[in-house]
Amino acid sequence: MVTLGGVWSLHEELPDIIVKGDKVQVRAEDLGDFDSSLPSWLYGNFKNIRQIDLGSLPPRLQALVQLAEKASVNESPSTENNVLERFGNWGVDSSSSWSRAFDHIGNTALGFIRSVFGRAKVNWSDLPLQLQTAGVDALPIVALLGFLTGLIMAYVGLIQLRQLGATVYVANLVSLAMTREMGALMTGIIACGRTSTSFASQLGSMNVSQETDALRALGLNPIEYLAIPRIIAVTLMIPLLAMFATFIGVLGGMVVACAGDLSVEQYLTQVILAITFKSFLVGFIKSIAFGFIAAWAGCYRGSVAHRSALGVGEAATSAAVLGITLIVIADAIFAVLFNLFKF
Amino acid sequence: MSTKEDILVSDNLSIGHGSKAIMDRISFRLAAGKILAVVGPSGCGKSTLMRALSGLDEPLAGKSMLMGVDLSRADQALREATLRRLGFLFQGAALFSSLTLRENVEMPMREFLRAPKREIRQLAEYKLALVGLADAMEKLPSEISGGMMKRAGIARAMALDPEIIFLDEPSAGLDPVTSGRIDELILKLRESFGTTIVLVSHEVPSILRTADFCVYLDPDTGTMSAYAPPRDFLRPDFTPKAHAFFTQASLT
Repeated sequence: MVTLGGVWSLHEELPDIIVKGDKVQVRAEDLGDFDSSLPSWLYGNFKNIRQIDLGSLPPRLQALVQLAEKASVNESPSTENNVLERFGNWGVDSSSSWSRAFDHIGNTALGFIRSVFGRAKVNWSDLPLQLQTAGVDALPIVALLGFLTGLIMAYVGLIQLRQLGATVYVANLVSLAMTREMGALMTGIIACGRTSTSFASQLGSMNVSQETDALRALGLNPIEYLAIPRIIAVTLMIPLLAMFATFIGVLGGMVVACAGDLSVEQYLTQVILAITFKSFLVGFIKSIAFGFIAAWAGCYRGSVAHRSALGVGEAATSAAVLGITLIVIADAIFAVLFNLFKF
Repeated sequence: MSTKEDILVSDNLSIGHGSKAIMDRISFRLAAGKILAVVGPSGCGKSTLMRALSGLDEPLAGKSMLMGVDLSRADQALREATLRRLGFLFQGAALFSSLTLRENVEMPMREFLRAPKREIRQLAEYKLALVGLADAMEKLPSEISGGMMKRAGIARAMALDPEIIFLDEPSAGLDPVTSGRIDELILKLRESFGTTIVLVSHEVPSILRTADFCVYLDPDTGTMSAYAPPRDFLRPDFTPKAHAFFTQASLT
């Protein structure tokens, strides 16, 4: 038997109680004013008791408890997972997340093939806008970061090369690094920051408002209709942006080099000597891959986003993280491959 | 075996979220040109059933045949071709937020019809006029009310003159006049085009007015407990829960 008394308020601490057994009688003694804290306390503590007798409680209180009982739905009781279970769940979640990613890659590849043969329904009217947002609109930030990257490399290079009396080679250092590596890498990372997150938010929001379901109900494949034009736009624009970043980076290096030890002519002569078609090609191939990765990461994370505001935010964050991680991994693989083939 | 007239067949269908089943052993057949209402308490899986029946989600077990096609086994081309023959109104209408109402209705036509632009525009305007949105064609979804969104969603679902339309709570949250107008539209669609309609609804008067058959999903047993014409649900000797649901809902 449980006896209730006193004043019950939301602003007071509620008593802890452990109730065991199948049959409990609850009665009131000197029960004062109460708000929703009392019926909720009763409901929470006694809902699993098979036989509970509330007959001696005030009718208003009985009604409030019974109303909650009536309205409650039959849900399976929540189980507190132990560490092993959580680890197991994490394993299952990760494997399904990998399988979803591979599934998306496969469907994207299939979508490309189908669109080449004109069998896919692609929203080509989206392409000009995507080309502009992924390309033209990114020019200022790419210019700024490219210029600063070239400038920083020139500073660091000059300090070291001055000790060897080889400051003229700072032009070679900056131009080679920008052409082969930094131009593509910086642009890829910028694309992850602004384009992948934007794609993930767009597609995630469309998930939330069931717009992607509406496309599917119309017999349109969301990957083909939404993702293909976006991936094509970014894969086309990133190599151009990377070339632009390289050019601006070399200019940034020139500002530092010419403010110190070199003349403009000396710097430019060394740049022309250093940049070969092969190194240009290396940067170009990398930038195509980085563009594809950035766009795919955004589209993939957006399309699997949970249908909530939080889900869209998470999709945007994880798109940037996934994109940058994959770009760095791809860059490492490229480094090994180009070295292997003496490229 | 499904007969030629059965446009929709649910055969021991099991539906759920992830791998967890919320309803199973759902079996019924619906002849072409009929109106089916799916009813049941909130959260019992009505929308999930609609998604499985329309091929948007795969069932956990069993199969659903839509226009003679098992969508969970069909290849991509057949699946997409079948989906083009159906229309779907989602609970929140799911209009494309960056397009005006007219563009929303035009979109499927632009993708699948070879008609000139002027003709597509005319068709879209007609469909919007049918749902009483002739004056709001150039508005964006963000500029209209929830009821108008629902009506625009129905206009888009009707865009390609589908053989079957799935309507997820078409009149929820609408005033009685607009709700009555949607009922009228549903009946006219069936009369004029022979369209089969599957709808999820809680509005018993509207179901009694429009539906030929009703499926009642019972969350306690985890399966459908009745499949009958809606008038039967009002009989006191009918399946108790389904009867209680109908009479309670009629009262409210």
